[in-house]
Amino acid sequence: MEQFLYYLKVSVKSIRRAPLPYVLTVLIMALGLGVFFANATFYYRLNADPLPHKSDKLFFPMMLLVPWECNDNTCKPPPVLSYANVQKLSNTDIPTAKAAMYSSDAYLRLDTKQPPLPVSVRITQRDFFRMFDVPVLHGSIWPDDSARNEIILTKALAEKLFGQSDVVGKTLLLDDKPLTVSGVLDNWQMLPRLYDANSGNHVEPVEQIYLPLETGYDMNYMSNSQSSTFDDTDYRQLSSQGRTGALHQLQYWVQLDTPAQQQAYRDFMQNLASTEKAAGRHPSIINNQLTSMRNIVAYFGGESGDIKAFALVTLLFLLVCLLNASHLSLNRYLSNQYEFSLRRALGASRWQLQQQMFADVLLLTLCCLAGALLIGFGGVQLMNYLWPVNRLFSTWDWQLLLGLLLLALSASYLVTLYPSLRASFGALNQQLKE
Amino acid sequence: MIQLNDLSKVFKTELIETHALRQISLTVNEGEFVALTGPSGSGKSTLLNVLGTLEHFDGGDYLLDGQSVKGLSDKSLSALRNEKIGFIFQGFNLIKDYSLFDNIELPLRYRGFNAAERKRRVEHALEQVGLAARRDYHPSQLSGGQQQRVAIARAIAGQPRILLADEPTGNLDSLMARQVMELLEQINQNGCTILMVTHDPEQARRAGRQVQIIDGHLSDASMYDPLAQNSPVAVA
Amino acid sequence: MSLHLMLKSLKRRKVVTGLLLLQLAMTLALLLNAVMLASQTHASLNEPTGLDMENILQVQLKPTTPELRKYPALSDLLERQLAGVRAVPGVVAVAYSNQGPLLQGGNNGNVFKVGAQERTNLASVPMYFVSADFFRVLGLTVQNGELPVSPTPLDGKVQSPVVLTQQLAEHLFAGENPVGQAVNRGPVAAVVSNFYGQRSAEHVFNNSVQVAPMYGVDWGYSLLLRVEAGSADTVRQQLDQVLRNVDTNIEIFYVRSLAEQHHRLYRTEFGLAVLLTILAGLMLLVTMISSYSNAHFHALKSQQDIGIKRALGASRQAIFVELLAEGWLCTLLGTGAGVFVALLLNKLLATVIVIPAIPLWLPLLAISVLILCVTLATWYPARIATRVSPATATKTL
Repeated sequence: MEQFLYYLKVSVKSIRRAPLPYVLTVLIMALGLGVFFANATFYYRLNADPLPHKSDKLFFPMMLLVPWECNDNTCKPPPVLSYANVQKLSNTDIPTAKAAMYSSDAYLRLDTKQPPLPVSVRITQRDFFRMFDVPVLHGSIWPDDSARNEIILTKALAEKLFGQSDVVGKTLLLDDKPLTVSGVLDNWQMLPRLYDANSGNHVEPVEQIYLPLETGYDMNYMSNSQSSTFDDTDYRQLSSQGRTGALHQLQYWVQLDTPAQQQAYRDFMQNLASTEKAAGRHPSIINNQLTSMRNIVAYFGGESGDIKAFALVTLLFLLVCLLNASHLSLNRYLSNQYEFSLRRALGASRWQLQQQMFADVLLLTLCCLAGALLIGFGGVQLMNYLWPVNRLFSTWDWQLLLGLLLLALSASYLVTLYPSLRASFGALNQQLKE
Repeated sequence: MIQLNDLSKVFKTELIETHALRQISLTVNEGEFVALTGPSGSGKSTLLNVLGTLEHFDGGDYLLDGQSVKGLSDKSLSALRNEKIGFIFQGFNLIKDYSLFDNIELPLRYRGFNAAERKRRVEHALEQVGLAARRDYHPSQLSGGQQQRVAIARAIAGQPRILLADEPTGNLDSLMARQVMELLEQINQNGCTILMVTHDPEQARRAGRQVQIIDGHLSDASMYDPLAQNSPVAVA
Repeated sequence: MSLHLMLKSLKRRKVVTGLLLLQLAMTLALLLNAVMLASQTHASLNEPTGLDMENILQVQLKPTTPELRKYPALSDLLERQLAGVRAVPGVVAVAYSNQGPLLQGGNNGNVFKVGAQERTNLASVPMYFVSADFFRVLGLTVQNGELPVSPTPLDGKVQSPVVLTQQLAEHLFAGENPVGQAVNRGPVAAVVSNFYGQRSAEHVFNNSVQVAPMYGVDWGYSLLLRVEAGSADTVRQQLDQVLRNVDTNIEIFYVRSLAEQHHRLYRTEFGLAVLLTILAGLMLLVTMISSYSNAHFHALKSQQDIGIKRALGASRQAIFVELLAEGWLCTLLGTGAGVFVALLLNKLLATVIVIPAIPLWLPLLAISVLILCVTLATWYPARIATRVSPATATKTL
């Protein structure tokens, strides 16, 4: 330990002797690491799995059950289903859980004297909460999927409206329709919000209010994300025509725990499509998709090409910075070669000189880490300013920071390795003569 | 050829002033072989550096081939050095990265000769020093004596008027030293003026004339013999 | 100064030189691709939109009570809002629309010529349901036919007349006179000049407009207003209050000029271009630091050689140029390789984003910039190196 402290002292002395090259090396490495880390934060977070224990069990079925005819390979099923489609897809016990849903906007207030508060709504069947591990703080989820004048709030919204979180039983007006609070959700966030990957909405925060699907249709709420009509259905008559016509706005998730279940459901979808076609209802070719949650963003083309492009480029930049730093480091070591060789001439073994190198690496790691954190923080703020849509994905956790530490350590080691090997394994007499 | 009039050189640091050369007057005629002798620290090398325009001087004047070098620009001095002066150093001072050919060719490039002319001169110089077969070798592949011969080839390739040699045999054994001295004598016989700094009295005697420097002062010491008991003290 | 001797000197310092060449290559690669992306974004932001970007404002809003979102209360609200905004000094014209121009996506549907659906069908054509002043607000010129003056309901017995943009009309009715003919949405009343509708449409200038009451405002609606030149700022400051004075039961999502809206459309590309440009600048900085350090260190190590050369007759100027020339040679070698790396990077980036190919002249320009930067960086170390005293440098220890 005492010896290692001595090595650290020697490192510091050698830096003091020629501070400028060292500062430049640290600056360059901190730049490369910091810029890389800033983008890596977004990349890591955007590609994280929010439900690692079940993301391979949750599936998004899509079928080409549409009134128009399409008979070649370019016919993709619509990304959202109609109410009628969902009814047919639900007509089986194969999934462990299943939920149809969509998002909308609404206005909430306690009474008609208050100004309406804009809120985001998820209109969904009850299995949504079970499938996506949504934590319930007070009250309970609806017992079935029938229409009911009940609403579930987040804790934050409850506190905002009532000043407390336990508001089960209280009444409020949603677009002037009185509804009772049946449950309050604990603080939760799903990042990325993979249950709504259509239209790149997976980067948005979770909704504030949850309404039963049937109630949502009864109240004529239209989806605020994606909705298409393929016949004469009047979307203003959602509660009637919307339930029977080709008005597509529903996302549908099923939970299939085992491969056997998954295959069974695929077979079910195939049979359903064949039956529908045989009945003359849907003239297009059969094109069923059953995409797992892990692949849903890629399926919808929602992966941020810009983050990826910047990831490639920041990696390149990191490499360039490491090369530059190695270069500077090499020059520095070659300048100090005389002293190194002198120590060897005085009896220091190669291993002892390598320990000196470890001390150098440690010192370099600490300096670069500090610089990288500073630059990384600045980088994240800049990226938030330029791409505010990704703002939820800019926080650091201990895993990311540990990753940065390991990266800084590896980088410092690489930058120091070759030069110190050159310095400690060179021909002694030549080095002393110089 | 060389005319020094009351030349002096002072080295100044923050604390100390060293008078390396004190009002030296010297005339060297064309074709002479002059040995510069004197004890260590007497100013021999400094005088040689001034003669070679490697150092500026503080007082007096220096005329080279009738032209005063005082007040000349760096560009003019470099050109003068390149055309009229050849150098031979104790440490050879060859460039390690370059082959023998490249080393000898270097001053000719600065002169502005074309490639064909340079090639001719380099090959002639290599022949003169007996190393024509090793033109593509590098200095590290040669012995000390051979390296010094290359340095001599470099010095004479441009056919300078003067050759300045600073302890040319200082790093060589006696056999190699003798070979180098023979080469220098040959060059002198071909008409080149040589000024050589040396500690070796044997070598000093081989030169046509000896000039002694003690404490920055000059004396024509054809009588100077460091081995003798009662040598006269030189007075400037 | 000899190329052959410089190359020899570089070969002796293989590792250091190799590092320098590699980083020069990558710097050039990044520089070129950053410039391509920045120029592409710049071109997008300056593309013709057919609209007076600075003098047209858009207010996106929605009534907050269910009653106000239904007719007849909605039409009454719209009338009052239009009147209120019209009265603001500086406002030339105002109209409502179900959506504004310059969007990524929005309200759209298919359009085809009746009787020729298979041949002429176009999907995702933006549909605008507007008040009569819409065309005046956007500054659209009539190419053919007559603009509808009063609104015709979309779900009435008579189909609401359709106004097509020139681009759309040419697709549907190539060579024919479109006015009076029928598309699936209704009879064609007029053809107007092109304007930028939605980015995700097949062509941004394909737009269909109908003067009609809006079908519904579940997704909000737009008020578009044309202002006198130079009065955009004063008008927009008043809009919030004016609209709330008309009726407080509204949520105003935003007030923007079309220029701002256009910029938002390319926000991600703009962001990437900015980030890449900053990164390219950082890379240049790092290269300059490296060149400086390399030159400084090399000059230090070569003191003896420099002294010898000076003794052999090289002037200070010659030594200075030699040192700079080494930097130039390194830069040319590194950037030569860099052109290939740039092309490779361009291909890789093209798999995740849209980026144009690199034109032939750009690498030359970029190499010149790099040479300039390297020259600047090595200037001082080279100057210092010429001050080596040949007497000291050639002295044997």
